[in-house]
Amino acid sequence: MTGPWKPDLEDLLDEHQSMVFSLALRMTGDRGLAEEIAQDVFLELDRNLRKIESPLHACHWLRRVTMSRSADALRRRRVRSMDMWVEIDEHHGAIFGERPNPLGSRIESLLATLPESQRAVLVLRYQEDLTPDEIAATLDTPLATVKSQLQRGLKLLRAKAATHLKEFVRGA
Amino acid sequence: MDDLEPMDDFERELQLAMRRRPAPPRLKSKVINELWENAHRASHRMVWFERIAATFVLAGVVSGAVLWRNAEERQRGVEARQQVFTALRITNRALEEMNAQLQARGRNAQ
Repeated sequence: MTGPWKPDLEDLLDEHQSMVFSLALRMTGDRGLAEEIAQDVFLELDRNLRKIESPLHACHWLRRVTMSRSADALRRRRVRSMDMWVEIDEHHGAIFGERPNPLGSRIESLLATLPESQRAVLVLRYQEDLTPDEIAATLDTPLATVKSQLQRGLKLLRAKAATHLKEFVRGA
Repeated sequence: MDDLEPMDDFERELQLAMRRRPAPPRLKSKVINELWENAHRASHRMVWFERIAATFVLAGVVSGAVLWRNAEERQRGVEARQQVFTALRITNRALEEMNAQLQARGRNAQ
């Protein structure tokens, strides 16, 4: 019989750092800020480690805190524009051994122009593959709101992609 | 929108474009270092707190000892003064008795 699950910060860091960093990056559009947010989230996780009951709980907790911290950071730094996002991404987007993905970068650029609430649900839906119910629980938002933001966000993104990404996207 | 509605081409492209990105390699070491520094700072603060507490205790003990010593000396002074007064009273009484005896002898001689 196995005993109760004991969380280990280093293991959780190894497992979830990519998720936390990617969520923060897509919400803020700033690598430096995303790294700071990820660092803060894991430091807070360490302070709350005793409250974490299971690997699933850890993952849900990390998503929720990352989204909340990213929203706080965005509130503090309301000076973003699409140009700035593209500039930052072009300068720093291909580090850490990633293969350059022009469509990915451009979709991210378009995503950055969406309202924050729509961006949040789209990131959780398509990066994390969460269902609307799970998104509602993560963002502590009513399910109906999540569904409508998902629809509106996707519609807006399709319209933007139809204009800006004709050469890449078939289904837009 | 149904939760399990199949994705269209655009959504699949979107999902592909939004795969997780690798975290910066230094992120883990930065978090671990920060935790270590926090723990170090906390233990450093505890050492300072202990030093300050020890200083207060020592100062309390020393000033208590000084006050006790002063009180002791004052008490000894009071006792010595009372002894001197007692001695003076005894001497005075002896002289008065002597004086009375001399006066009685003088009267008897007359």
